[in-house]
Amino acid sequence: MPDLKTSPLHDKHVALGAKMAEFGGWLMPLEYAGVLKEHNAVRESVGVFDVSHLGKAVVRGPGAAAYVNACLSNDLGRIEPGKAQYTLCCDDATGGVVDDLIAYLHGDDHVFLIPNAANTAEVVRRLAAGAPDGVEVVDQHADFAILAVQGTHSDEVLDAMGLPTGHDYMSFVEAEYAGHTVVVCRTGYTGERGYELVAPNAVAGELWDAILAAGESHAIAPAGLGARDTLRTEMGYPLHGQDISLDVTPVQARLGWAVGWKKDAFWGKDVLVREKGEGPSRLLRGLVASGRGIPRPGMRVLLTPDFAVGAVTSGTFSPSLKKGVGLALISAQVQEGAEVSVDVRGRAEVFTVTKPPFMTPGVRES
Amino acid sequence: MYPEDLKYTVEHEWVRSPGESDGSVRVGITHFAQDALGDIVYVQLPDVGTDVEAGTAVGELESTKSVSDVYAPVTGTVVARNENLDGTPELVNTDPYGDGWLFEVTPSDPSVVDGLLDAEAYQQQL
Repeated sequence: MPDLKTSPLHDKHVALGAKMAEFGGWLMPLEYAGVLKEHNAVRESVGVFDVSHLGKAVVRGPGAAAYVNACLSNDLGRIEPGKAQYTLCCDDATGGVVDDLIAYLHGDDHVFLIPNAANTAEVVRRLAAGAPDGVEVVDQHADFAILAVQGTHSDEVLDAMGLPTGHDYMSFVEAEYAGHTVVVCRTGYTGERGYELVAPNAVAGELWDAILAAGESHAIAPAGLGARDTLRTEMGYPLHGQDISLDVTPVQARLGWAVGWKKDAFWGKDVLVREKGEGPSRLLRGLVASGRGIPRPGMRVLLTPDFAVGAVTSGTFSPSLKKGVGLALISAQVQEGAEVSVDVRGRAEVFTVTKPPFMTPGVRES
Repeated sequence: MYPEDLKYTVEHEWVRSPGESDGSVRVGITHFAQDALGDIVYVQLPDVGTDVEAGTAVGELESTKSVSDVYAPVTGTVVARNENLDGTPELVNTDPYGDGWLFEVTPSDPSVVDGLLDAEAYQQQL
């Protein structure tokens, strides 16, 4: 594996005996004690993930927020400074999704972005290319660690460390920790109540150790990308590169809620407004197994044995529901509630077409 | 990690002779295989009575992240399978050489078992 980037916490993961895997050009923990234990810790108590591979970029200068708002899909006018927003970077010509990201609105002249690891350079390139005079777009990918504390007991863990908790879902608060500024965001990718901490590399190790120590009484589990994937799949959260890509539009992925349709401009507006009006030919849908089948990316979705209507984009065994669940891009003519079969290595396994999430999220619990 | 009294295959399976059923050998996967697969969530095994051929896929082990074939280590007839794995597939992870066994097969040529890898030879090719 040549030239993989590593997290500032790499040595901690190795010391914990983590299995490591490549993801988006980074060598990150796949699992520690096992995906099921880590998944259940997050669903039932609390877990901590190192997601330092995620991108970081800042857009700043006079009119920075207005510029971002004219490029990315969601409407920054819907939120106040101190709030974050899920948004999309679409290709202007095709409307396809270049990346999905979180935008943190600090103020009119300052927006912080968290794109996916593999797409950060491209998002920065596109934003920098069109930036007006005075607005700079800086790739800060390797400058910060991101630690996600996720689960119903996350507040107790951060409280014990003297970090702020209890702010609204999708809002963030800056705090001092060991002489460094840490941004505590009420965000995550698990469907549970939780926080993501954006911290300078220099304090990452100290934060990680403190989180594990503070979480000990709640049996906190260090959790890897394996559990992150089963947790997000249960929520139906799309993963860029699997469920969404340059070949998939937000209309097809049913991400229209993350598009500011009434805005004057955003990349891809013309083509997306047209597709929304005409209706998409395919949609990202949920699949729930009737039997023992476990869907995997690339498997064909069939209406009858010789009539394919799409393909699975994400799929796994749901540790919480104890059955196979997945996301699939399938013909828009197939309705919710329909029974389809998935070609699981030559076996036709029956699935029901549903609307994710597959279980109730706890992200907004107060 | 790799008991001396078992035979092994390059497909990371072990064979215990004799098995519980008359004339059979018992088959499972090794510690190395269960660790590489991760948490096993579904086990599909051949039906009792199935004739199997050495080296061919006869079942599947599905983990949270991937799926892997189960191979027949010898040619013969399946005479038993571990029905407990249907409800508790994690036994393959927690006790791969004991309660996590997969199936038993009656070899058509019992001498073939002697030709499989011993523990030392198996570990050398890991």
